[in-house]
Amino acid sequence: MIRGGGVAAAVLLSLAVAGCAKDAPQDTFQPAGPNAQKIQNLQVPVFAIAGVVGLIVFAAVGFIVWRFRDRGQAIPEQTHGKPALEIGLTILPALILIGVAIPTVSTVMALNKTSDTECIINVTGQQWWWEVDYPVQEGCGGISDVIVTSGQMVIPVDTPVLVRGTSRDVIHSWWIPKLNGKRDMVPGRVQTNRIQADEPGIYAGQCTEFCGLSHANMRMEVIAMTPEDFEAWKANQLEAYVAPEDGTVAAAGQAEFISQCSRCHQVDGLEDADGEPIVSRPDVYIYSGAAPNLTNLMTRNTFAGATFDLLLPECRSEVWNAPPDEVGPAYLEGVTPECLNSVDLRDWLRNAPAMKPMYADPEKLEDTDGMYRGMPYLALSEDQIDLLVAYLLERK
Amino acid sequence: MFTTGTKFLLGSTVVAGLAALAYGITQDGIMGTIGLISATLALAFLAAVNIFTRDANVLVTPDLAPERTAAAQVAPSYSLWPVVFAFGFVTIVVGLVSYQAIAIIGLIVVLAAGAEWMAQAWAERASADSAHNSEVRSRIANPFEFPIAGLIAIGIIVYSFSRVMLWLSKTNTVIAFGVLAAVFLTFAFLFAYRPSIKHRAVISVIVIGAVGLVAGGAAAGISGEREIEEHETTAGLALEGVCEDPEETHADEKASQTVAATASVAARVTLGEDGSLSYALNGPNPQGENSTLTLPRTTPSNVLFINESDEHRRLSFDFGPMADPEIGSEDVFIPNQVCTTLVETGGKQLVTLNIQEPSFAFPDGYRIFVPGVDTAELTLVVP
Repeated sequence: MIRGGGVAAAVLLSLAVAGCAKDAPQDTFQPAGPNAQKIQNLQVPVFAIAGVVGLIVFAAVGFIVWRFRDRGQAIPEQTHGKPALEIGLTILPALILIGVAIPTVSTVMALNKTSDTECIINVTGQQWWWEVDYPVQEGCGGISDVIVTSGQMVIPVDTPVLVRGTSRDVIHSWWIPKLNGKRDMVPGRVQTNRIQADEPGIYAGQCTEFCGLSHANMRMEVIAMTPEDFEAWKANQLEAYVAPEDGTVAAAGQAEFISQCSRCHQVDGLEDADGEPIVSRPDVYIYSGAAPNLTNLMTRNTFAGATFDLLLPECRSEVWNAPPDEVGPAYLEGVTPECLNSVDLRDWLRNAPAMKPMYADPEKLEDTDGMYRGMPYLALSEDQIDLLVAYLLERK
Repeated sequence: MFTTGTKFLLGSTVVAGLAALAYGITQDGIMGTIGLISATLALAFLAAVNIFTRDANVLVTPDLAPERTAAAQVAPSYSLWPVVFAFGFVTIVVGLVSYQAIAIIGLIVVLAAGAEWMAQAWAERASADSAHNSEVRSRIANPFEFPIAGLIAIGIIVYSFSRVMLWLSKTNTVIAFGVLAAVFLTFAFLFAYRPSIKHRAVISVIVIGAVGLVAGGAAAGISGEREIEEHETTAGLALEGVCEDPEETHADEKASQTVAATASVAARVTLGEDGSLSYALNGPNPQGENSTLTLPRTTPSNVLFINESDEHRRLSFDFGPMADPEIGSEDVFIPNQVCTTLVETGGKQLVTLNIQEPSFAFPDGYRIFVPGVDTAELTLVVP
């Protein structure tokens, strides 16, 4: 008996310990904004009620199974109908459900409220990355021209932000657990979600609706920074394109980029030899119709759907683990040559489908009319990769 | 060996076959050939039956014991399936010379009747007890018969209802089927409340109702559908060159009632009474203050036009020049535009845009405007 109890205790302890984690960036039980706090305020008592009810049910079932186990006794008298008991066992769960439903409905309605938001950010899901764009608006402190980025969303702290989301291919789901609940992003529909961060920080999330091969690699982060830092970020994003100096490796990389990458990837301000803007046409080559805008790639910390870090681990740690008042400045540093995770970036350029499962094999593209899902293998030489890395490193 | 009747039928078969061959070679058209081939097959079938039964003449089988002669065998029970089977064949032939759908129906009838016929014939050999044989047949066939018959019955009911609904006007449809539902409910209530009502009476009411429904559906189907107004769509308006025309004759009075008008919208663009054009998003709306609307690239975006002016107006989108698709030359350009139809005062209409190129690809960018209202213009930015 004692031995059996020990085993049961060990199992329960293992289950309890399994819930512990030192680094849990997607922990929904650690809210960092008012919407997530509303969810927390609802889920804790509901879980408690459900836990108590569950314990009572399991205990009752266990007791009955043990107490009335088969010992060769005669089958007891079979009766039917105890109105008082039946009515009681109907009313009691109904009361519990009503007690749960009132705060649940109230919270759902409160979470749907977006009329108080002060900043609009569009999010578009596609296989397997998130595009983030900031439309022209008076919100967000005023945005005079569209800002397009991917993987990471930068927001001002203490500001209610309206996330307007959709999808270009299949249904995705956008969820930053510490800031709000999840919202499905559906092609042809505009879904809204309100997020707000109480203090500067980096809040991680990932797609929560199965969307194909690299669903698990479709991640995203929200970087909350002070209004001053956010203004600096905006200003940097809207700065005019500066071409690499002639004769440099980066200048050769620009030519290589135009030749190899600009069909799909847009770099705003990039011009051809005649001074005409180079316009990418990802809709011609990619099933979802878009590829990440690389204008300011090195102002982000991640690439390829936030799957890989652009920063080396020690540099990443300095940003992610920075105290709240230093998160903004650390993030605004962007990727320096010393901190560049060139191994992953070079591997990606060398053979992207080998790094992240994608539907980029030309022999398997009949279903998509020859269009890629994700980035294809480009058969770049090591020299070409050197040039591209040098060029991309200047995209800040 | 062959009886007189068999010889006659075999000879007729050969003659019919030769006639079919000769007709097919020498004459135009296939109707005659099909008829003669059908006759050949029918005669061959009869000849085969005659050979098998030896012309029903027991005297030609002297070697058999009397109890094994055809005349001594237990006759099969009456069955409609051979008739249905033959009807199916005729239907196939008719279908082959008229409509393929009729031939397919004939094929289905032939297969179904053949299966039923075989099941019945098989069951009749199970024992000498006809009641037991009938039970055996039911056990085998009912699991297939009931679901298929149910589906056919539901299909007939639904199709008949749909014909009647499409024949009546919208208003009369609501009235008629409201009354029908009330009658149905009344009878159902009566049958449930008065279980003593005779079974035959219930069956009679159901049969009369079913016959009435099918007859009504057939009559309505023959009479045809009511006139259903085709709504003008925005597809092709740009190529007709009307996106800059404020004077088009037709205004779509029904556009505001379409399901699309209530679908998920990326932006609501409103033409005000004062001739101003503004847009609204949910969230912080720069309504009337910001003249730049941003829409995502390569993403279907629904834009809802709301006409609050006192005239019929359309909303147009100008996406710069494009090569003329009718000429096919890269040197001849026409405006690349999309627009709504004219929308009545107070009306709404939805336009779905999927813009592939960014607005910065064109020196003048993109714009949204209302033809005939100079003050109504917004800048459209597509990153």
